[in-house]
Amino acid sequence: MPHSNRQQPLQDRDLHVNFFRPRPGFMRKEVTIIWIALVAWAIMIFVMPIHLAMTHDDPVRTLAEVPYVFGIPVYFWYSGQFLIVWFILLCIFFNVLIDWLSSSYRKRR
Amino acid sequence: MEASYRITPIFLLICVLVVSLIIGLMTRRQDRGGYGLQVRSIGHASIGAAIASNWMSAASFLGIAGVFFLQGYFAFAFILGWTGGYVLLLVLMGSQIRRFGKYTAPDFVEARYDSTVARVFSAVIAIVISLIYCVAQYKGIGLVFAWMFGIEYTQALIFGIVVTLVYLMVAGALKAARNPQIHYLILILSFVIPLMMIAKKLGYNWLLPQFSYGHALRDLPEQVARTYLYPWTFGTPYEWIALCFTLMVGTAGLPHVLSRFYTVPNNRDARWGVVWGLFFIGLLYWSAPAFGAFAETWLSRSGTLLDPQEAQALADIIVIKTAEWVGLNDIFVSVLAIGGILAAISTITGLLMTGAGAISYDIYYRLINPRASERHLLLVAKGATLVLAVIVLVIAVNPPGLIAQITAVAFALAGNTLFPIFLLGIWWDRTNKYGAIAGMLVGTVITFTPILLGHLVPVLRAILPPTSTALIGAPLVILTMIIVSRLTPPPAESLRRFLVEKVHSP
Repeated sequence: MPHSNRQQPLQDRDLHVNFFRPRPGFMRKEVTIIWIALVAWAIMIFVMPIHLAMTHDDPVRTLAEVPYVFGIPVYFWYSGQFLIVWFILLCIFFNVLIDWLSSSYRKRR
Repeated sequence: MEASYRITPIFLLICVLVVSLIIGLMTRRQDRGGYGLQVRSIGHASIGAAIASNWMSAASFLGIAGVFFLQGYFAFAFILGWTGGYVLLLVLMGSQIRRFGKYTAPDFVEARYDSTVARVFSAVIAIVISLIYCVAQYKGIGLVFAWMFGIEYTQALIFGIVVTLVYLMVAGALKAARNPQIHYLILILSFVIPLMMIAKKLGYNWLLPQFSYGHALRDLPEQVARTYLYPWTFGTPYEWIALCFTLMVGTAGLPHVLSRFYTVPNNRDARWGVVWGLFFIGLLYWSAPAFGAFAETWLSRSGTLLDPQEAQALADIIVIKTAEWVGLNDIFVSVLAIGGILAAISTITGLLMTGAGAISYDIYYRLINPRASERHLLLVAKGATLVLAVIVLVIAVNPPGLIAQITAVAFALAGNTLFPIFLLGIWWDRTNKYGAIAGMLVGTVITFTPILLGHLVPVLRAILPPTSTALIGAPLVILTMIIVSRLTPPPAESLRRFLVEKVHSP
C-alpha cells in the first residue's frame, strides 16, 4: 500500500479513523460538514412520509384537508418535484463548504 | 396487442444506430490529434451530462413512468431513491474514495482488505449486479421490439439480444467512441418533446408538462384521482421508506456509477459535476410521472378500461403507448421507442463490459491463469460476454417484475454488500478482511432470501420486500462487519497509515 514516508511515523494510537470520533483538524471539520449535509438529507426525505403516515390515514379526508400547490396536494409536489431541487441545493451547499475547507488547508500547507 | 410491424420506428432505429456509429468513428479521429486536450476543456455541466447519460437506462426512460402509471405516489420512492443516492455518494464517500485511488469494487476491496477471497467475492457480486441490471434493460428492449416488429415478446427478446451484441461487436471492432454529452441530449429531447406534445394534445399546459400533469390528475374521476394522489394506496409507509433507502444506498455502492464518477481529472470537478448530473437526471425524473398521468387521462376520457393484467403488461411501455393513444405523429412515437432502446443499449454496453472485465481479469487472470496473455484475456472477456448474454436471456424470458423493480433488486444487492464495504473501508480503519467477507456473505443472503423463500414464508416478503431489503440489510451487514472485525486481528499498520495520511487528509 503506497503511503507517504516524509512525515514523522505516527504512533499506533494515532492511526484511528472513525467517523464518530474524527481526528482533530481537517477530518473533524470535514465530518462536521458531512453531518450537517446528512441530517439535512435524511430529515427532508424521511420526515414527510413519516408525518404523512402518522397524520393521514383516510384518503378522502386527506385530500380534502391538505393544502394544494400547483394544483396538486402539497406532499405530492414536495416528493415529486421539490426534493430533487433540494438535493441539488444540498450538493451545492456541500461543495461550497468543502471547497472552502480544502482551500483553507492548502493555504496553511 | 396488435400484431403488425411499424415501419417508421424500424427505419428510424436503423438510421440512428448507423449515424451513432459514424459519429463514433468521427469522434475517434478527432481524439487522436488532441490527446488530453479534451479532458482539460471539459466543464462541470459537461461532466454532469456524462454522469446523467451513464445513469439513464431503460429503468429511468421506460420504467419510472410505468411504475407511476400503476402505483401513483409510490413511484416517488424510485425517483427519490435514484436521485438522493447521489447526495449520499457525494457527501459520504466521493472525495475519500477518489483519494483512495481505486474505483472498481474488486480493486478497492483488494487494496483495502488485502484478500484474494474478498476480491473474488466482490467481483462475483459485481457480475451478479450487472446481470440483474441487464435483465431489466433487456426486458425493455424485448417489449419495445415486440411493439415495433409486431412479434411475440420472447422472439423480440432473442432478436434484441442479437441486435445489441452485433451492434456492440461492430462498435468495438470499429473502436467507435461514444459521446456522452450528445447521448444525453438525444435522450432527454426524445423524452421531453413528445411529452410536451402529448400535454398539448390533451389540452394541458404544454410548456411545462412537469407541472401540468398535476391538473391532469385532479381532472380524473374522483375515485381514480384519489388512488393516484393519496400516498398509501399502493404501499405502506414502511415499504415506501424501505424502497427509497435501498435505492439510495444501492446508488452509492453501484460499481458502474462509482467508476463513471471518477473518470474526471480532479476531485473538485467531479464534485461539481455531480450537481449538474443531478440536475440533468432530475429533468428526466420530473417529467417521467407525467407520462403515467396522461396515460390515465386518456384512458378515462376514452372510456377504455384495462384489467390489472393488461395494465401490468402495458406499464413498461406506457411511455410509447401514451404517445400512440393520444394520436401523436408516428415520428414522435418512434422517437420515444428509440430513446428507450438507446438508453437500454448504452447501459447494457457498460454493464456487460463491467461483467466481462470482472470475469476475465478478477476471476480468470487473478485466480485461474495468472500467466494469461492480453490476447487470451480478451478472448475470455468476449466469451464471458456471450455467456452473460445467454444467462440474461434465460432470466429475461420470464421477467420477474417491472423494469424498475428488477433494477431495484440490483440496487438492493449493491446496497447490502458493496455500500457497507466502501463505507466502513473508508470510515473505520479497524475493518478487516474477515469483516468484509462476513459482511458480503450476510448481505448476499439477505438480498436473495426473500426472492428464493418468499413464496414459502409470506411474512418474509412483508418484512423484506425483494426490492427493498437494504433498509434492514445494510445496517445488519455493517453490524456484522463491525463485530467480526473486532473479534479478528486489525489490518496492517501501513494500510491504516495510508487511510490517515492520504484518504483523510486534504
